[in-house]
Amino acid sequence: MPPVLRFLNVTKRYNLGLTRTSLPAIVSQFARQALKRGDESANGKKYHWALNDVSFDLEKGQSLALIGPNGAGKSTILKLLAKITNPTSGQVEVNGQLSALIELGAGFHPDLTGRENIYLNGTILGLTYKDIQKRFDEIVAFSEIEEFIDTPVKRYSSGMTVRLGFAVASCIEPDILLVDEVLAVGDASFRQKCIDRIRALLNNGTSLIFVSHDMGLVRAVCERAIYIEHGRVLHTGTSNNVIELYNQILEQRRKEKMNRSGESAIDGGEAEITRMDVVDSAGNSVTETFGDQSLEVRIHYTAYRDIGKANALVRIYRSDGLSVCIVRTHIDEFSLTLNKGEGAISVRLEPLQFFGGMYYAVAWLMNAEDSDGFASGASEWFEVKNRVAGREAQEAAFEPFRTWSHAPKALQNSTQTENVKLP
Amino acid sequence: MILQARQLLKTRDLVWAWTVRTLRGRYQQSALGWFWAIVQPVATVAIFSVVFTRIVPVDTSGVPYILFSYTAVVPWTLLASSLTDMAMSLVQNMNLVGKIYFPREVLPVAALLARLADFGISFVLLIALIMIYGVTVSPEGLLFLPLILLIQLALILGLGLGSAALNVFFRDVDPLLKLIIQIWFYASPVLYPETLVPERWQGLYFLNPMAGIVAAYRDVLIYNQLPGDYLLPSALISCAILLIGYWFFKRVEFQFADII
Repeated sequence: MPPVLRFLNVTKRYNLGLTRTSLPAIVSQFARQALKRGDESANGKKYHWALNDVSFDLEKGQSLALIGPNGAGKSTILKLLAKITNPTSGQVEVNGQLSALIELGAGFHPDLTGRENIYLNGTILGLTYKDIQKRFDEIVAFSEIEEFIDTPVKRYSSGMTVRLGFAVASCIEPDILLVDEVLAVGDASFRQKCIDRIRALLNNGTSLIFVSHDMGLVRAVCERAIYIEHGRVLHTGTSNNVIELYNQILEQRRKEKMNRSGESAIDGGEAEITRMDVVDSAGNSVTETFGDQSLEVRIHYTAYRDIGKANALVRIYRSDGLSVCIVRTHIDEFSLTLNKGEGAISVRLEPLQFFGGMYYAVAWLMNAEDSDGFASGASEWFEVKNRVAGREAQEAAFEPFRTWSHAPKALQNSTQTENVKLP
Repeated sequence: MILQARQLLKTRDLVWAWTVRTLRGRYQQSALGWFWAIVQPVATVAIFSVVFTRIVPVDTSGVPYILFSYTAVVPWTLLASSLTDMAMSLVQNMNLVGKIYFPREVLPVAALLARLADFGISFVLLIALIMIYGVTVSPEGLLFLPLILLIQLALILGLGLGSAALNVFFRDVDPLLKLIIQIWFYASPVLYPETLVPERWQGLYFLNPMAGIVAAYRDVLIYNQLPGDYLLPSALISCAILLIGYWFFKRVEFQFADII
């Protein structure tokens, strides 16, 4: 079966503005452009190469993340896929119906009600009235805006708009779904819902192209990823590998900036992190936990030779990329010796004290001097829930153990103290 | 081109939704609502009636001037308002054009359809006027009415698609178009009967497709006669303009998202 989607040596070049503004010059330049005649490189025009010889393909039911810094060319790829713009050279093949979730609410009219906008947005995305009618209830239920369905969209909160936009775009059950950095607006529970929805679509054979700076989300929904920078594909692989590479590159840049000598590079070949688990106190794998529970990060490794003294570091990221904590064996004066063979290194965080949100852990095995890493790995995603509902996730990072006290001036002797465990 | 026309047929739900959106957006927050659709032509006719009956009387071959001018002002308003709307239709929705793919023709076509709804409303008033003045209208003539409207729509569509596309590249198109429409108004027999134009200029005069279209509306609706040969050049020129406008639109549509 041919891939649903194929990029073959695609190059996209943008003109950086018209260099001449006199009327005859514009007319002749415009006529050339419109008729695609004449020497394109004339006049010493300036170009921006948004994509340079990019190739990749995507099979049915696969998910691919596009990772890279801003301006790398990710959005250009989406625009080419969505047929919004044409490549300067190369081939873009799309086999199947494509639905794009690029800017939520782009097709919404603020004066129209939610109901009217569902029809409007649905038809823009290529559905017929009948299709939308069939799915209308499902869309409304998913977006959780039942009460406001006949309210003009201009009175919606941004969260409601995002929910409605995602509900319409995903209900199409397209062959290919493009999602560009739009889920960041919703709250944690809606994000989870979107992730579940995307996974269900993937299981039903939809292919996904996903663009996000949220590495947790990328891990959650994508098997594969490509790393793009300056319009070129620098790396292709499983999303965990590409994310690690991306983090390494960011880390390396940071180090270069700080003018440090001594390069950080993975030698490879000495050892490998085969798996990473996040487990609770009973040793069971954890996907959901609470901040007052303990959490253990387990690094399963295989060493291919006797390494001797080594170090490990575990770093936990929140889904928005915040590095929540870093723990290192040498700082904790834990001595680690790795011999040839398999093993597991664990670090227990007790209690976790994280605020509600989605997290994942990455680990590095470092040399004895703790200057170079030789193996790295990442865990699955886990969610920390708040004990008391109603507090928005990611308004804070920590929920520390705490003690409140109150000493009114008049009653200095009777200080009121109460120990409070995490709620 | 036939294939593309079929594609457009497939997206008729979108055209419809966008037309409704345009109409709702235009009339939702206004107290008079749909009534505004008739205000424009009625006001124009009121002014003309004062000027051309009291100050400079115009020979209308026995037809009351109000009816005479309203019959022409209604189709003229359709042309003028839909062309200005169509020219702006892509530019005003650039956020959408730059983000989502859908057939680009939808936007100008929906702008035209929204104005066609206004045309329908003011046409109802035209029928009422015809009945009030007791003008006899022959059924044969009425058979021509859809044809005349089709010719006019072809003309508007061709010009509208072309100017919508061109406006993406040069915003000068919008003010220029308004100026052209103003001049065009006086070059068409809206205020005056086409018979006022000297015989030797008539051939040249009817190269203006709107001259034939307006004259045909009048012949059919108030003079109880079939349109003359003058309608043929109007039809041919309108079709040619439609082809050229559509060709140009398709030719440059892939550049829209890059320019914006």
